[in-house]
Amino acid sequence: MSGSSNVGLHIDHNVQEDPEKLAEFEAKIDAGQLIEPDDWLPQAYRTGMLKMAEHHANSEIIGALPEGEWITRAPSLRRKLALTAKVQDEVGHGQMLYRVSQDLGKTRDQMLRDLITGVTKYHNVFNYPAPTWGDIAMIQWLIDGAAIMNQKSLADGAYGPYVRTMKRINMEEAFHFKCGEDMVLTLMSGTAQQRALCQDAFDRWWYPSLMFFGPPDKPNCRNLPPMRWRMKTVTNDDLRQRFINRFAPAAKDLGLKIHVVKKSDDGMVIEKQLDPNLHYDESTENWTVTEPDWEEFYRVIRGGGPCNKQRLGLRRLSYEQGRWVRSAIMNGRVGLPPAA
Amino acid sequence: MSKIREHPPDADGEMTSPKEGDLEAFAVFTQLQRGDPHTYAGCVDAADAKMALQFAREHYGQDQPCVNIWVVPKRAIAATEYDKDLIWRYTDQTYRLARGYAKGVREKWEKIRAKNDLDDYEKEDLKEMF
Repeated sequence: MSGSSNVGLHIDHNVQEDPEKLAEFEAKIDAGQLIEPDDWLPQAYRTGMLKMAEHHANSEIIGALPEGEWITRAPSLRRKLALTAKVQDEVGHGQMLYRVSQDLGKTRDQMLRDLITGVTKYHNVFNYPAPTWGDIAMIQWLIDGAAIMNQKSLADGAYGPYVRTMKRINMEEAFHFKCGEDMVLTLMSGTAQQRALCQDAFDRWWYPSLMFFGPPDKPNCRNLPPMRWRMKTVTNDDLRQRFINRFAPAAKDLGLKIHVVKKSDDGMVIEKQLDPNLHYDESTENWTVTEPDWEEFYRVIRGGGPCNKQRLGLRRLSYEQGRWVRSAIMNGRVGLPPAA
Repeated sequence: MSKIREHPPDADGEMTSPKEGDLEAFAVFTQLQRGDPHTYAGCVDAADAKMALQFAREHYGQDQPCVNIWVVPKRAIAATEYDKDLIWRYTDQTYRLARGYAKGVREKWEKIRAKNDLDDYEKEDLKEMF
């Protein structure tokens, strides 16, 4: 799942790079060549890529938590198997991305610790609650759908190890998305109660999915290092528009209503009205919807979301509990498990 | 022809030079384009990695475009066994693949769209008739 578009890439522009090497590096990127970790990299590129890959890895690990809670409560054996496989995929994505980050110069243990102590962040979207099975369907349909759009654009980037990881991840995301679509379709083809549960979950997740792509574009974003060096290839607003064009009509076909909502501190909808700005513009072929509340976005990033504490608390618990495993491995007291 | 070749030593009898053993086997992985994965190409015997790289360049790097080569001592590679441990189990695992959902998703969409069409038709019908 996840993506890295809303990570702030604070790049130090004061580092003086060798202008000849920098020109060579930029020529490689302009020629569409992939950059490899052993190549000469500008310091700002290395830090920027590390920050992006680490944030992405953190998001995969934290993203598995809300869904993992639902494995024991899945409504059928097939759904349980699928959800288990999905959560396993997400943690696997985290492993691959921590590996990419390690090659950029940070140890895995430091990354795991920085995540827990709040030094580094994870994707904002995982700070929202998943109180029903409908939320699990919506996470897989909307959030994984958004993640595929984002990660497909990241797979066109320039950093080889990250690009290859994105391609691999996107294959698995296709399963998550299809499975989510199947769950939403099942609920919306069901009883009035199932449809209402699905609508409520949709109301909770619609705005977090629009915010998934990060804050509105800065006017010069195409000239800033993340895009100039092809760490990102599509702007946040362009990705968001693609998402709206894909999902607003799909929701309409399914019988889901797009609402502008007001939420309580625990992330539950307390007020809603039909989105008055929802319409299709034939001249631009774009769907228009009401903008997300960007103040909420920044508040949640700063730790004020409904589930920030709970998610990091669970991560800390599992890290502390895993101490004996790490210590056994580091001291070489493990071998292969006995043959089955 | 040199004198010694005209009169080679007797082929029978003990060898005079001692056994040296084999060189080390190195697995060779070649990359055909920057950014591509390295692919297993074969093995070379060499005294060390440097020599193995030199042999690999000649054996595997000259008959096809090749931009990068890795050599790895063959003994350093750990592998699974084909018959003993199956990696892809033979039970139905389509629940973890996108294609496991394709048919069901299509059918459910068709049903929902057919119902939407029917609802639209009935609405229009009501407008016209009454």
